[in-house]
Amino acid sequence: MTGFTGFLVKRILQAVVVLFLVSIIVFVLLHLLPGGPARAILGPKGTPQQIEHFNHQQGYDRSLPTQYLMYLKRLLTGDLGESFKLNSPVLDLLRQRLPKTLLLTVLSTVLAVVIAVPLGLLQAVRRGKASDYALTGLTFLLYATPVFFLGLIMIILFAQVMPILPAEAPQGETIADLLGDVTGLILPVVTMAFGIIAMFSRYMRSAVLDNLTEEYVRTAMAKGQSSRRIMGRHVLRNALIPLATLLGLYLPTLFSGALVVESMFNYPGMGLLFWNAAQGSDFPVLLGVTLVVGVATVVGSLLTDILYAVLDPRIRSVA
Amino acid sequence: MTADNTTDKTGPHGEGPLLTIEDLRVDIASRERTVHALDGVSLSLAPGEALGIVGESGSGKTMTALSVLGLLPPGGEITGGRVLFDGRDLAAAPAPVLQDVRGDTIGMVFQDPLTSLNPTMTIGAQVAEPLLLHRPGIGRKEAWSRAEEMLRLVGMPQPAERMKVYPHQLSGGMRQRVAIAMALVCEPKLLIADEPTTALDVTTQHQILELVDDLRSRLGMALILVTHDLGVIAHRVDRVAVMYAGKVAEQASVRDLFERPRHRYTEALFSALPERAAAGAELHTIPGLPPGLVTRPTGCRFAPRCAFATDECRAGEPPLTDAGEPSAEHRFACFHPVPDEAASDEDVVRPAPALPAAAPGDVLLELDALVKEFPLKGGAFARSRGTVSAVGGVSLTIRRGETFGMVGESGCGKTTLGRIVAGLEEPTAGAVRFEGADPSRMSRAERRAHRRRVQLMFQDSTAAMDPRMRVGEILREPLVIQGVGDRTEQEERVAGLLDAVGLPRGAVHRYPHEFSGGQRQRLGLARALTLSPDLVVADEPVSALDVSVQAQILNLMRELQRERGLTYLFISHDLAVVRHLADTVGVMYLGRLVEAGPAEQVYARPLHPYTRGLLDTVNLPVVAAEGTAKPGPSPLKGETPSAARPPSGCRFRTRCPLAQDVCATTEPEVSTPNGGAHQVACHFPSASPRLASSV
Amino acid sequence: MRSTAVPVTSPGDPGATPGNEEAARATPSLARRTLRVFTGNKLALTGVVVLLLLLAFSYLGPLVHDTEQVHTDLSRANLPPGSSGHLLGTTDLGYDMVGRLMVAGQTSLEIGLAAGLLATLFGTVYGAVSGYFGGWIDAAMMRVTDAALAIPAMFLLVVVAAIITPGEGVLIVIIAAVAWLSPARLVRGEALSLRDREYVQAMRMMGGGGARAVFKHIVPNAIGTVIVNCTFQIADAILYVSYLAFLGLSIPPPSADWGSMLSAGITYTQNGYWWLIFPPGIAIVLVVAAFNFIGDGLRDAFEVRLRK
Repeated sequence: MTGFTGFLVKRILQAVVVLFLVSIIVFVLLHLLPGGPARAILGPKGTPQQIEHFNHQQGYDRSLPTQYLMYLKRLLTGDLGESFKLNSPVLDLLRQRLPKTLLLTVLSTVLAVVIAVPLGLLQAVRRGKASDYALTGLTFLLYATPVFFLGLIMIILFAQVMPILPAEAPQGETIADLLGDVTGLILPVVTMAFGIIAMFSRYMRSAVLDNLTEEYVRTAMAKGQSSRRIMGRHVLRNALIPLATLLGLYLPTLFSGALVVESMFNYPGMGLLFWNAAQGSDFPVLLGVTLVVGVATVVGSLLTDILYAVLDPRIRSVA
Repeated sequence: MTADNTTDKTGPHGEGPLLTIEDLRVDIASRERTVHALDGVSLSLAPGEALGIVGESGSGKTMTALSVLGLLPPGGEITGGRVLFDGRDLAAAPAPVLQDVRGDTIGMVFQDPLTSLNPTMTIGAQVAEPLLLHRPGIGRKEAWSRAEEMLRLVGMPQPAERMKVYPHQLSGGMRQRVAIAMALVCEPKLLIADEPTTALDVTTQHQILELVDDLRSRLGMALILVTHDLGVIAHRVDRVAVMYAGKVAEQASVRDLFERPRHRYTEALFSALPERAAAGAELHTIPGLPPGLVTRPTGCRFAPRCAFATDECRAGEPPLTDAGEPSAEHRFACFHPVPDEAASDEDVVRPAPALPAAAPGDVLLELDALVKEFPLKGGAFARSRGTVSAVGGVSLTIRRGETFGMVGESGCGKTTLGRIVAGLEEPTAGAVRFEGADPSRMSRAERRAHRRRVQLMFQDSTAAMDPRMRVGEILREPLVIQGVGDRTEQEERVAGLLDAVGLPRGAVHRYPHEFSGGQRQRLGLARALTLSPDLVVADEPVSALDVSVQAQILNLMRELQRERGLTYLFISHDLAVVRHLADTVGVMYLGRLVEAGPAEQVYARPLHPYTRGLLDTVNLPVVAAEGTAKPGPSPLKGETPSAARPPSGCRFRTRCPLAQDVCATTEPEVSTPNGGAHQVACHFPSASPRLASSV
Repeated sequence: MRSTAVPVTSPGDPGATPGNEEAARATPSLARRTLRVFTGNKLALTGVVVLLLLLAFSYLGPLVHDTEQVHTDLSRANLPPGSSGHLLGTTDLGYDMVGRLMVAGQTSLEIGLAAGLLATLFGTVYGAVSGYFGGWIDAAMMRVTDAALAIPAMFLLVVVAAIITPGEGVLIVIIAAVAWLSPARLVRGEALSLRDREYVQAMRMMGGGGARAVFKHIVPNAIGTVIVNCTFQIADAILYVSYLAFLGLSIPPPSADWGSMLSAGITYTQNGYWWLIFPPGIAIVLVVAAFNFIGDGLRDAFEVRLRK
């Protein structure tokens, strides 16, 4: 297991380096803001005196490296700044909103995987046949549809033409509140899932096809296994393992999707918080959320990489 | 089963055959075309009998084996004929029937033991799987313990622990043992082995073949052994079918076939073997290539390459007959067979040995205590974990005009050594001296010029040629880089080279992938010669080729050496090929040069126990005389240790039958007990000559 | 004596060599064979046809169907399809919908193509440098892309949108700035594997240097991957344009692109003005899908041409 520990250490160190770089990117964005950090943080109401005082107090009149170190120190103590629109620390806002975004992301990812895996499998089995072409065409069309257009179609279809589902997401304070209103969750979750299905089913199709040409499949046949069993026991399993890495790779896409879906359905997650902040030029929130999303992505891909290593014996147990 | 009682077993009057293949036809369709891979193949096999199917690539031998179990590749389809097994026609059987037979009454072993095992399932689960499928009464627990028993039977050390590991944690030989255990766990009546040892080293090969032999007699099963290797077939089967271009050309008992081949193709195949040629003589070759089988050839399929072909051969297909053979068992499809009264091998008049290579000249290349270590990287983790000692202090000299043959098993460091000589790797320690000058001390310009003098011929010319360049550009590239001549001169030179390697000049307009394997090796040789080097390092240049094509390339290399005064460093795992071509031979084991000397001497009086073991392990394409025993158990036990942790002292000691305490503590000095240039690095070099043999 | 009967061929004799007649046969060029595989792919051909139709619609359309697309006419706002010569009705500002789609199509296609190409160009150079040099340079360069990838594109775009006001050129640069990461990683992987290929080693052994390795061997062999990826980049760029419009960063009127038309239409979802939503939405889906079909077909074609 020394190899595995080595892998963990190396991978975690890499993630730490990336986290630093993420914080630098956000720091740079902060300085690109019109009027600099002070204007951004104090809001448009700040007087020149206030700005000067703020700059001095916060050290924004010092050299950039010093400023960065101070910024980093604040981050590490959990100080992400304060929203001047909502008069609340960004960290508190995120504490409320982040779990809801995770709920939306997890639910729609699970739904997408549940649909995409059999879909990709079906395409692989029917390779080159009309149904494969039709499904391939369909998944490409799905991929080509902007998520908000998809959401719009959903709303028109299921909230207007056939008003069976609410067009707005549930507005609870807690996760339990959200789950209490399942019908309200359906449209946002399904919309977001559709955006992911195309990518995953495409991956499954080619992974299954690749695995089908592997020689171990012929060995399994030579043992007398039925094609169904070979699919289930050998091919599917080997094709699913790399899906863990794929999930990690698509985390940023998932968060982007959440941003659009939340704004669309007024879902009270981090994405909506972010979007509202953008409308109101609430820069502490904008940058705070950006940073947290970046950190979540880095940590998420770290976890999926470790998951992959655990799932794949070739990596888990290098002799 | 011994060879003696097979004749009456397979006869029409004996007990019924276990397997009968009748007029089998198989088509393989791809996007572009349909290949008639098998075109009327008929074979039969008695219970307990061992049948060898031998042929070159594309002959249909593997397709025949795969058809039995309906395991044809995508696009493959049985278009005619029957496969009768135990009274059932498997060719027409629906999937459930085939699934019942597969893995239960017929087991199958494939060529590559790594890719043919599922990488994410434990060994135990994979070996137990057939039992769970075919013995519904057996519980998981019993299947598991039977699987463990089977692993013990195939010689897997510590089977209980090995049940829980994954394929990548085992060596190639061990993986093949697992594959065999998997095929035999239901105790089948027939084992089909498709090139089971081709991917393995000589010593491992020997162990696996021994194992199959042993299990066959223990379990009383029949065997179909598919191979391209005439040496393997000679010792392990009762009967042989020789396939050519989708048809059976000849079938006979193994003794009849090796002693009295009748089909002209079989005869030519035997003559192309380097083992059968006198050292230094030109090899017999079979001109041309087998037909492509997209269209069915008219007449005898071998006729275009056959020296005896007449209009009759070109017009009609010869039937498979016994044509007056004393035993109905010996059948062949040839209008002009080798006369039956043909003399035995001893009387063969060989072509006059070619001129001995020019008397060895002055020293061209000198390696001085050459060491190469690679940082060890563990799979997905790029963190370095120690080093691999690929070359562990090798000193040797190569004289101008000679061929230095370097032999050894995979991982012995011979390829790394070649790459250092060719300048593709920098040695970690030690020196390369080319006519006394060390390239690593040359100035940039000198070094660039020095590049011209040593060239490398790769094993796989496909990988070594840019797939997007036409042949003309590929061959011209060395001249362009070195700034030799203008474009017209370069093109003239390329045309001359193509003439020299026997390819049409029109080849310059084509891409490498459009050529056959043998033609690509010709191109590889041509490119290596473009800059008129003094030394050509040839790394396994013929190991991917069929025997008949291999002979063409070896002859070409020899001829060009004579014409151009080339020096070769010829690296190969194939002792027979090296024996044929080399003047001086070196033997490497785990990074060390254990023995070196004039080829004749090394082969006849090997001093190092490893060399001796290696030579005794080789499967000669000769049947043992009546009454003599089959080749004994492999003299080299176990497996080569990891180069990351080479044994102390003599690196061979862990496998050496003669090892003493001193071998573990002291590195053996180089000595010359046979006198002259014959060197050995061993504490206990053997003194006796080897029993005569052609390798 | 029977062995001597087997003809010994001289290897130097070209007559004895296989494939003379084969060699004489003309070799179809790689380009032609690639084309054959590509045209055999029905989805890819569909993609080409759809793309050509959309190009013709956007650029040739205005010649046939000339409409006022600068000055607004609120008296004619939100007319349903069919009314007074407006085949697809009018927008909320009174522009003819069909004519608007043509003008907007030009912008969407131009931004998509320019941003996709720019991202591919920059990403390719970045990836090639990283992969070819390897080692520490590679590790450092790749951590930078990791960090940039960690911040989801949409969030970055929104922040940027809050800072600057867009024009066509700005949009192109912004989109390329988030899109270059994927070709960079792809090309880096390709360069890493290509530089260790045996034919590159063979060339080094002849004394060839780094420049030759890159321009004669690595680039030509990676170009297929780059072209395929470029097609996908263009598709993604067009999608990004639409997302930017949705998130509030669109080119100010009277200019328009399909994305901004669509997001303008969203405001009227409750009013049932479907003609403001579906035509631009479908146009986006069609053009993005077309580029994806083409990319997929190209990938197949490039793979095939390297197969035996």
